[in-house]
Amino acid sequence: MDATQLLKGVLDVAVLAVVEDEDGYGYDVVRRLRAAGLEEVGDASVYGTLRRLYTAGALTSYVVPSEEGPHRKYYGINAQGRTMLELQRKVWAECAATMNDLLAGKAA
Amino acid sequence: MNTSTVTPEIATFAQSVRAALADLSAEEVDDLTEGLEADLAESLAEDLRRTLPDPVAYAAELRLAAGLPGRTDAGKRGIGNAWDDLRRQTSGVVQGNPTLAAVADFLEVLRPAWWVLRAWIAAWLLAALFGMQVGYGLGALSSIPLLVFAVVSIQWGRGRWQFPGLRGIVVAGNVIAVVALLPVVTASQSWDDGSEYNAGFESGLSSGYGGESEGLFFNGQPLENIYVYDAAGQKLSGVQLFDVQGRPLVPNREADDTQIQQTPATLETGAEAFNVYPLQITRMTWDDYGDLVPDPNPDPGKVAAYADGPFIKVPAVLTPPAAAIPPVSVPEKVAKPND
Repeated sequence: MDATQLLKGVLDVAVLAVVEDEDGYGYDVVRRLRAAGLEEVGDASVYGTLRRLYTAGALTSYVVPSEEGPHRKYYGINAQGRTMLELQRKVWAECAATMNDLLAGKAA
Repeated sequence: MNTSTVTPEIATFAQSVRAALADLSAEEVDDLTEGLEADLAESLAEDLRRTLPDPVAYAAELRLAAGLPGRTDAGKRGIGNAWDDLRRQTSGVVQGNPTLAAVADFLEVLRPAWWVLRAWIAAWLLAALFGMQVGYGLGALSSIPLLVFAVVSIQWGRGRWQFPGLRGIVVAGNVIAVVALLPVVTASQSWDDGSEYNAGFESGLSSGYGGESEGLFFNGQPLENIYVYDAAGQKLSGVQLFDVQGRPLVPNREADDTQIQQTPATLETGAEAFNVYPLQITRMTWDDYGDLVPDPNPDPGKVAAYADGPFIKVPAVLTPPAAAIPPVSVPEKVAKPND
């Protein structure tokens, strides 16, 4: 099975999860996801997801100017994002449990 | 590792990504690509990715993940894409070369000048459409099309007043403007100068009934008279000149027509002929009523120069060319004006 295909469906919740504790800029988020084990994640997909979550109102965004290099755009989670994250955590937990059971052959 | 340098490759790549997103609104493009250079620089610095990916595929991934519609370029598959590719490649080459990049930077500053220039060309092309009537016959109103074109052109150049399909129009318009630039500049120079225009008009007018603009030229200069010498080098008079078709070789009667006037010879038929050389030249002047009249007190030196010609005698001819050619019997042809 292609893990990248699976990843697309859960990238939203993964991104929300890695910015939950600390704001991050684009590549920072990519790095956290990869460090968490999602090594196949494409950075353009992450940047696009960040923008979509921002447009959906789940993230705040601010630009930090840099004197030496180009400026960075940071994203942080807001109340709506936290609500969305909690909901998706439950959905994922249920879905994962169902899939685990199914694949383990325990389904009734 | 919070600061990383942005290499020209990254700048070019980011530029290409933005170009591939150009059909989105400026705000959406900014949202998607703000911080892109910093992210790429850091990503490259970490060596996680040694080469930059294809910018178009990268842009497609960006917009897909962002939930934005796929590129809406159904109408510009062929030429539009080829044009975009060409732009990308050109910009890659330019950015990679410091000299070209400096030139491009310099030219960038001149873009507003180009916006005005193309508006000016458009105004001229519109004028041409109306047959180059002076100011469209509107006097001071003639600058209105230029003003309108300039405002529209500048707004488009600044990325304002956008609408779907505008880019194609701008590209086509720019091509037309570049092609038309030279002809328009040439035309405007001869046409703008009112005096020259009027002079040309009058000359056209007089040639309409007088035929005076015709006549002999030598090295582009009109000839007002010819001085003829025989084989012995002696001055001749009353020499009639024709070309091979029997056309009388008349002098140019426009040469200095405010200074001199040629007096035609009278033929035995009673007709007047101007192709009889040397012609008698009369020096002219303007009288108190503004009429052109023979100069009552002509400069004697100039009168003598016209009457005597440049030489009293020229070197004689040892072997007249006519002698070398055996006489051929030509069917007799009756010359019309000078029998």
